[in-house]
Amino acid sequence: MDLEKVFHMKGGRGETSYSKNSSLQKRAADKVNHITLEAIEEMFLESKPKSLGIADLGCSSGPNSLSNIKELVNAIERESRKLLERAPEFRVYLNDLPTNDFNTIFQAIPDLYRELKKGRSHGSPISIYIAGYPGTFYGRLFPDKCLHFIYSSNSLHWLSRVPPGIYNEQGDTINRKSIYISENSPPQVARAYFEQFKQDFSLFLQSRSEEVVVGGRMVLILLGRNGPNYVDRGTAFLWEILYRSLATLVSKGEIEEEKLDSYEVHFYAPSKEELEDEIRKEGSFKMDRFEMFEIEKDTGNSSTSYGKAVAMTVRSIQESMISHHFGEAILDNLFEEYGRLVDEEMAKEDIRSISFVLVLQKL
Amino acid sequence: MEVMQVLHMNTGEGETSYAKNSIVQSKIISVATSIIHEAVEECLEKNFSDSMGIADLGCSSGPNTLMVISDIIDTIYATINQKGILLPEFRVSLNDLPGNDFNNVFISLPEFYNQLKTEKNIGPEGCFISGVPGSFYGRLFPKKSLHFVHSSSSLHWLSQVPRPLDSNIMPLNKGKIYISKSSPRSVFDAYLSQFKRDFSLFLKSRSAEMVVGGHMVLSFMGRVSADPSSEESCMQWELLAQALMSMALEGLIEEEKIDSFNAPYYAPSAQEVKSVVQEESSFTINCLEAIEIEWDGGAPGNNHFEKYNNKIENYNLSRGQQVAKTIRAVVESMLEVHFGREPMDELFKRYAEMVGDYFSRTTAKYIDLVISLTKKG
Repeated sequence: MDLEKVFHMKGGRGETSYSKNSSLQKRAADKVNHITLEAIEEMFLESKPKSLGIADLGCSSGPNSLSNIKELVNAIERESRKLLERAPEFRVYLNDLPTNDFNTIFQAIPDLYRELKKGRSHGSPISIYIAGYPGTFYGRLFPDKCLHFIYSSNSLHWLSRVPPGIYNEQGDTINRKSIYISENSPPQVARAYFEQFKQDFSLFLQSRSEEVVVGGRMVLILLGRNGPNYVDRGTAFLWEILYRSLATLVSKGEIEEEKLDSYEVHFYAPSKEELEDEIRKEGSFKMDRFEMFEIEKDTGNSSTSYGKAVAMTVRSIQESMISHHFGEAILDNLFEEYGRLVDEEMAKEDIRSISFVLVLQKL
Repeated sequence: MEVMQVLHMNTGEGETSYAKNSIVQSKIISVATSIIHEAVEECLEKNFSDSMGIADLGCSSGPNTLMVISDIIDTIYATINQKGILLPEFRVSLNDLPGNDFNNVFISLPEFYNQLKTEKNIGPEGCFISGVPGSFYGRLFPKKSLHFVHSSSSLHWLSQVPRPLDSNIMPLNKGKIYISKSSPRSVFDAYLSQFKRDFSLFLKSRSAEMVVGGHMVLSFMGRVSADPSSEESCMQWELLAQALMSMALEGLIEEEKIDSFNAPYYAPSAQEVKSVVQEESSFTINCLEAIEIEWDGGAPGNNHFEKYNNKIENYNLSRGQQVAKTIRAVVESMLEVHFGREPMDELFKRYAEMVGDYFSRTTAKYIDLVISLTKKG
């Protein structure tokens, strides 16, 4: 299965779309927004380019990407005003896989332009050019040395493929009682996922190194894990809950056991050391900053349970892969069960999903 | 009607989609190929750079989109190979209004990149294709970033319905939806004025974005007659208005709706085009041709565009029906917003009949203007 042709967040603006179910991702980005803005401001003050290239890798289709672009542009405008200088021309590169719903994000661009133009009510009109670049970020996406700032949020934990190392010579998975790394996984599984991560992340860094100017910054936000153990009560646990939800449907006869056994996710939550190692080995970037954070459970919205909110979020992310493998019919039941299990587990003990934010600088 | 928000070709790949009904437009692209090739070669002569910016304005979706780009890259590749120099990096921008079905184009990109690699050994670091949503009546690209600009079947769309015509209060063009023999002088003037404003802004914007010596090839609907109400430039709208009026007579559509609808479209004469280019003054005209194109695209030629586009599903339809489908794919979005979705099927059924009838009396032809320009120093 060619991932590039299948994997995408749920498009459009309906009930189950990523657009309507990405507030958890927004909260994660907001939490470290000050780090993102500091990074772009620092870069800008060092070089003050007349034409500034900003890329969002894994922009998806919801409102988060454009809202982030707006913040970045406003930050640069502010710095320029402080220096009593004309703001640069902005070149914005929005990237995601070719199956991403770019139409939805493009339709929101005229409003963004209007807001940005309003913000600059006097002086010269703002020069901003936004384009969509479909393709995998595991490889080259952009012309040589055209970028000063790269932002990637909640994308780099997606691998380029399910690690081939978890399949035996007959082409069957050795990870039958799991869909990710769990306590039921044979030890080669974790090694295979780790290998794939190393290959992917290294290619990511290499590709970006040709596209980013010296002194350019990258802000990467992704799910990670604390320490060497894979089996913790973090993100891996959420995959286990998905496995258990699928298993429930197997026991009800709604899914064939064989289908569940052969389902694997193309995901990896690295540790800090694993990230640092690849960055050092690849050698084009240095890590200026690293922070680990959690997103607190949102106690605000009482009408939807936390479990349901997480289920809706995960659904908008996983739907394309799950329907490809299991068909669409099981989706509602599956995520109802998923939401229920999350609530059940949260009642026992919090599930602590850990995120990392890294600021890298091009050498 | 907010043209920028409303105008788009029919999306997807269904029966009434643009993707399945754009054979006329592919013919229009193919008749311009020799002019495009010449322009590309000239551009390379004067402007060799290690990073070339190429833009297609009004790229739409469907099979035509990537074929144009493919042809341009092929030409550059062939020319460069002859000279034995290294290929430049290609920065390709596909532009259309935000409502365009970009997803349809993007899904074909992985296969397109594969072909580039296998056929021409152009790897992922050699060609970068992006989608740029926005109106070409205004800036779309950074300064001096483009070497070659192409636009086909797009510039006859105005940025808006001419202001004096976009009114419910005092409809100037009763019973008609475009310039017609019965339209008052003010209608002619309003359309010409809007065209001049728009085309001039188009040229000014491209001028800032193109390098000196950059080339531009534009194809759009026009006319040879000095009279803007000539059949060659208005008949497709005239028949559509007749189809609408026939429905109004039966109470299926309100007549006021027809009175208040005017197409944001203009088919200029070669003279009108030249005069705007000369006045705006950033470009020299290399050539300007007027080519006749039959309404249904005519007999298929040997060009690879046309071979690809000759869809068997349209085989059993009458010529009138085929033409109606191509027009529907293009205007439906605008008509729906104004008249509602309900009347559309019946409207195009009647339209097909009227077109069929017209065909039986005369060989219906569009006039396609093709102009090749160079950015002055």
